[in-house]
Amino acid sequence: MISNAFKTKLILIAGSLLFALAAGAQTRINGEVTGPLGEAVPGAQVRIKGSPSGTMADSLGKFDFVTTRRGSQTLVVSSLGFKTHQQTLTVADSTLTLSITLDDAANTLEAVTVSAGSFEASDKAKGASLTPIDAYTVAGNGGDISNALRSLPGAQQVGEREGLFVRGGTSDETRMFVDGTLMKNPNYASVPGIMQPARINLFLFKGVLFNTGGYSALYGQAMSSALILESIDLPEKSSANFSVFPSNLGAGFQHLSKSARSSYGGGIAYSNQRLYNQVVPQHPDYYHGPEYTSANVNIRFKTGKTGMLKGYVAFAQSNIGVRNADTDSASLRSDFRLKNPNTYGTISYRTDLGTNWRLVAGMAYAFDKNRIHNRVLSGGDEPIVLPHAPFSTKNSDITLRSHFAQGRAVLTRSFERNQAFRFGGETFYFHDVQHYNGNAATLRDQLSAVFMEGDIHLGEHVAFRPGLRAEYSSLLRKAVVAPRASLGYRLATGSQLNLAYGVFYQKPENRYLFENRHIGFSRSEHYVLNYSKKANNRFFRTEVYYKKYKNLVRTFPDITLSGDGYAKGLELFWRDKKTVRNLDYWVTYTYLDTKRNYLDYPESIRPSFTSPHTFTIAVKRFFQGIATNVNVSYSYAAGRPYYDIRASGDAGTRIYDSGTARPYNVLNLHVSKMMTFFKKSKFKDYSGFAFGANNILGTKQVFGYNYAYNGNFKTPITLPAKRFYFIGVFMSLGIDRTEDLLDQNQ
Amino acid sequence: MKTLITTILLICSVAFTFAQNGDYSAQLEASVKKLDQARSVADFQALEKTFVQVGNAQKTEWLPYYYAAFCNAKAGFLLQDDGEKIEPYSVRGEAQIKKSESLAKGDSKVLAEIYVVQAMIYRTKVFISPMTMGRQFGPLSDQFLKKAQKLDAVNPRAIYLEAWTKYYTPKLWGGDKDLAKELAGKAIQKLPATAFSVMPHWGKTESEALLK
Repeated sequence: MISNAFKTKLILIAGSLLFALAAGAQTRINGEVTGPLGEAVPGAQVRIKGSPSGTMADSLGKFDFVTTRRGSQTLVVSSLGFKTHQQTLTVADSTLTLSITLDDAANTLEAVTVSAGSFEASDKAKGASLTPIDAYTVAGNGGDISNALRSLPGAQQVGEREGLFVRGGTSDETRMFVDGTLMKNPNYASVPGIMQPARINLFLFKGVLFNTGGYSALYGQAMSSALILESIDLPEKSSANFSVFPSNLGAGFQHLSKSARSSYGGGIAYSNQRLYNQVVPQHPDYYHGPEYTSANVNIRFKTGKTGMLKGYVAFAQSNIGVRNADTDSASLRSDFRLKNPNTYGTISYRTDLGTNWRLVAGMAYAFDKNRIHNRVLSGGDEPIVLPHAPFSTKNSDITLRSHFAQGRAVLTRSFERNQAFRFGGETFYFHDVQHYNGNAATLRDQLSAVFMEGDIHLGEHVAFRPGLRAEYSSLLRKAVVAPRASLGYRLATGSQLNLAYGVFYQKPENRYLFENRHIGFSRSEHYVLNYSKKANNRFFRTEVYYKKYKNLVRTFPDITLSGDGYAKGLELFWRDKKTVRNLDYWVTYTYLDTKRNYLDYPESIRPSFTSPHTFTIAVKRFFQGIATNVNVSYSYAAGRPYYDIRASGDAGTRIYDSGTARPYNVLNLHVSKMMTFFKKSKFKDYSGFAFGANNILGTKQVFGYNYAYNGNFKTPITLPAKRFYFIGVFMSLGIDRTEDLLDQNQ
Repeated sequence: MKTLITTILLICSVAFTFAQNGDYSAQLEASVKKLDQARSVADFQALEKTFVQVGNAQKTEWLPYYYAAFCNAKAGFLLQDDGEKIEPYSVRGEAQIKKSESLAKGDSKVLAEIYVVQAMIYRTKVFISPMTMGRQFGPLSDQFLKKAQKLDAVNPRAIYLEAWTKYYTPKLWGGDKDLAKELAGKAIQKLPATAFSVMPHWGKTESEALLK
């Protein structure tokens, strides 16, 4: 029997308990904090905003605390690596039990990266960012990466010469790097007035970084631009491919080992324009070729867990003979004969060393022989010797043999939050022998560089990349130090402000060094401000820059480094893949204000390879129903200046004549239809049929003028033929490489 | 006396549990009903959060994570022309569907449902950048759809996804719009018109969209 006293006690206890709960000063809040998938978040901070009440979750993510607050309160839950969570609670008298889920911080924001001055085309691109294929499929690029990149802002439309002319710089101021090492001769040797194709197949690369200013301290010896290419690792599967375009034949294969840890492959290509030139008359009279022969082999291995070793060797030769009307006499012709065999080999290796270190190393070797004969021809195309000016110097035999070797290693120590410190060194060996009408001259240079660079995150939205590079040339007997820095500031998801600064040194070209070996480095300084926004399959980018040149080569009266100049400009880029389904286009505008006083210029003038306004548009559309790609590109460049500069009476030079050439206007078209020839075969083939035309409107292009030695005549520099056409079929067995094959043969 | 104690205990327990979140099945049912009405990205985004909450409160049920992943897949499909914007949905969806699979305890019908959503998630990855991600995630998506069909040949959602794939694949690579419509019709037939259940039953609106 329970006593009354006990009953009373029980009621009192229960009553006080209820009192504490109902009218008490404190409310318990408990529960647990979990990550996005229910995993405990130990140590999460849980508190009521603006009050001292709060606690830290235990090792199972559970928390329990009391608060005296009442009514509507904000609960804040935070933990490193997660997005801070806020939630409104109505705190009354009863205990609150909560289950709180935190979002990963990584999912909401990617690490901010520095991107001033550069255009990246990567196989990891998302949305409207460029992929290598996007760059390669611009109509009219002729399988040349440099040409393909001319549809991006910063590059000039220079139709008579290969290479990239960036922001008031010459094509020699742009250097191409493959897996870190210099690719010294990306194109076949120059022929006056006619653009030469690229030696290397575009599809060896999975990443293209086209830097038009303020590039990394890891690279040097390019005053304007670095084109940084990353070669592909192992192929996806074994494959073989063929292509037949009347003047271009190609075949290649890739073999992937069963273990998928190594591969080898090779390719050959032969191109002879002779037949084509008979069908489509060319203005210079080609009496040989142009003929291009190339062969390459590659081998790739995975080593250990993270290592990758790649080797590539290629041989490529051009063989060309052209006759042109002589600029000085209507009755004579000039003969230019070129044979340019080139061997190029590169080995690259990369591996992780432990968890925080990474090594990237590379070696490259190239031998290039450039043999040129210039002759004056009589009316009957017989070589003749005329002992007086200007004809006496027009018969020449020039042979240039260039050996080049490079070794390079870069070590990276990575830190948390994508931060890193990189340092390394490289050395270049150049050995050039020139025979000019039997007179030999030799240049030898050992150019070495050490460099370091850091990726530092100053807060969540700011990335800073300072760098320093020191270079020494044994030929110039000079050492220089080049500081670089860039900064990325994220304004919101997808939009970013970037700044870059850098000093860039470059050795003068060999033709000047042969005459004066110790002159020193030329120098440029870049200031770049960039804004970009990427969202919803659209990409906008604008950049302004100022570039200052110092110590440019002057050739008159002597070879010195007393030249200088500047370039400044504004560039716009807009790409839109969203507005029309299956239609992708980009538009660029480049404004360039530049002047320089160099070579034989008598004063500071706009160089003849620059145009103040350049506009390009690249449009691509895939017609799904008929499996056909249509690519169109259009470029406009305001007329370029031209000059007749010759020695004046008073030891200087003078501009005897000058003008502005007509604007450049070119429309290119490329159509390809995909199909399968052997539907039932074991090996599925991805084949197709392609045709296209460059300068489809037949616009007369005048890039500039060649003047007679006394200035009495000028001959326009124009395209060899109004239009260029191609048509052919291609086939790939085993792997879908249709796009690739198309672009090699444009 | 007994009544008194019971009363006290009852008052206490009510007081203690009053603030507790509503029970799992009620919440799940309410959310699934909302999901049946969801149309916009915002709808799916909000529901995804709810499903994750429901899942995390329980931690042992595959269904809430399955629905969370499905919400992400739907958001990705709705945003298919928006490139990089899709990525966060794909990433979350992939993690959620894998979590769901780990809780599914090997029931083949359930796994078939999960693989269909997983195939959809990989399809959303293709949308981010067909050129760079298509080669990897397109085949992966097909692989999961095949896996689902192997486990449950008559799953209407698997049939719908096959129809979707046939509809949007270019002819050259095996696309076939007529076959797609036929499959979409078949998917609708297979969808039961029975009473509401929290088990996966979506697919009607999606299949009908292909028939338009």
